[in-house]
Amino acid sequence: MEWEPSDLPENNVTDVHPLRELGLLLVGIGGATIVLTLVLAFFIDGVVRFLPAEWEARAFSGLWEELDPVSDDRQGASQELLDRLSLHWQENPYQLRLFVIDAPEPNAFALPGGAIGVTRGLLDDVESENELAFVLAHELGHFERRHHLRGLSRSLALGLVFGAATGGSSGTLLTEWVSNVTQLGFAREHELEADRFGLGLVVAEYGHTGGAADFFEKLPETGAGAIHRMAAWLATHPVSPERIAALKRVARQEGWRRHGELTPLYLNAEPR
Amino acid sequence: MEDPLVQIGAQIIPFFLLMLMGFIVGTTIESNHYREIRKREAQTRHLPTISFRRPPPSWQITSTALVHGNTVVSIDYFKRFLAGLRAITGGRITSYESLLDRARREALLRMKASAIENGFDAIVNVRLETARLANSSRNGQGTAGVEIFAFGTAVKLAS
Repeated sequence: MEWEPSDLPENNVTDVHPLRELGLLLVGIGGATIVLTLVLAFFIDGVVRFLPAEWEARAFSGLWEELDPVSDDRQGASQELLDRLSLHWQENPYQLRLFVIDAPEPNAFALPGGAIGVTRGLLDDVESENELAFVLAHELGHFERRHHLRGLSRSLALGLVFGAATGGSSGTLLTEWVSNVTQLGFAREHELEADRFGLGLVVAEYGHTGGAADFFEKLPETGAGAIHRMAAWLATHPVSPERIAALKRVARQEGWRRHGELTPLYLNAEPR
Repeated sequence: MEDPLVQIGAQIIPFFLLMLMGFIVGTTIESNHYREIRKREAQTRHLPTISFRRPPPSWQITSTALVHGNTVVSIDYFKRFLAGLRAITGGRITSYESLLDRARREALLRMKASAIENGFDAIVNVRLETARLANSSRNGQGTAGVEIFAFGTAVKLAS
């Protein structure tokens, strides 16, 4: 038998530049994920609006207890202020409950079922009742728009999409960034909506918007160390000047009085 | 609490560095390796290397031996990321194709080199085996690398 040596055929490698491959895959998968998430979020948004508040309260009752509320002698007065504000929101379907959390960062949040958490840091920082009232009214705004539920269901939508895309196994870095960034976008829009609603309640209670924006005005001025402390707040909440400008614009459009007598914060005068 | 921007940055920057390093180092090594493979293939192409189970009847065999060549390869970060994306869309995992092509040819070359070194004239019944090396750090879920094992029967012929 004759032996004829021959070279190996080079037919096993597809001739495509790896960077081109990377670009195509990233654009394709990124685009599909964004579209899918938006569609899903749109439908969930539509459904969540019609979820009765009673169901919500029943489903999430006791959720706030898991956040470890502490007893604080300013809790009663804050709850009373919250109840007073909610009188101006006629359609309020919630049994509102305020609880205090032992954390130094000034922050407040709305939980499903009608619970509002405020941190000790927030109660330490506010200087007038108007200021605290606006923060609480802002959280009521989240309830009114059902943001707290949408936040939940949007994370659900993202979770579903990414779970399907990655086979439910790998929590890759990529998915985390996308979810961080999109959540941030939703959150900012929600904060501005809640501000608008909250400002309306404050005006109904006090007759003017004075003191409402004080809290945000403080944020950038508290020094370099504090900026770090505020990072969590600033991330989901739009940058303060931008937000104050939006508040002023709303006040001007509605013809609300911008200045007035501030109600002293009697609760800070009590001994702790 | 950490600034979320810092957090996101802390995740993105190592990722980009790893991608960049994987791409540059991986591409350099690959093109060097291919150059070397082609050179060595040209040097060893005179050795008949066939996959028939039996030698041709006309061969007069004076001695035989088992010869083998082995390569263990891992994949760079860039290629692994590309393959991960491909796992979502389906389709050719082109980043693995060149890697495994290199591994197979390298294993065959090592086998042939060992046959030539020991004075054999041909190799028959050549087989390739592939084994996945599980990634112990990921509970055996991921792939740490792939082993390609080439083996065959080297024969000496009466001249």
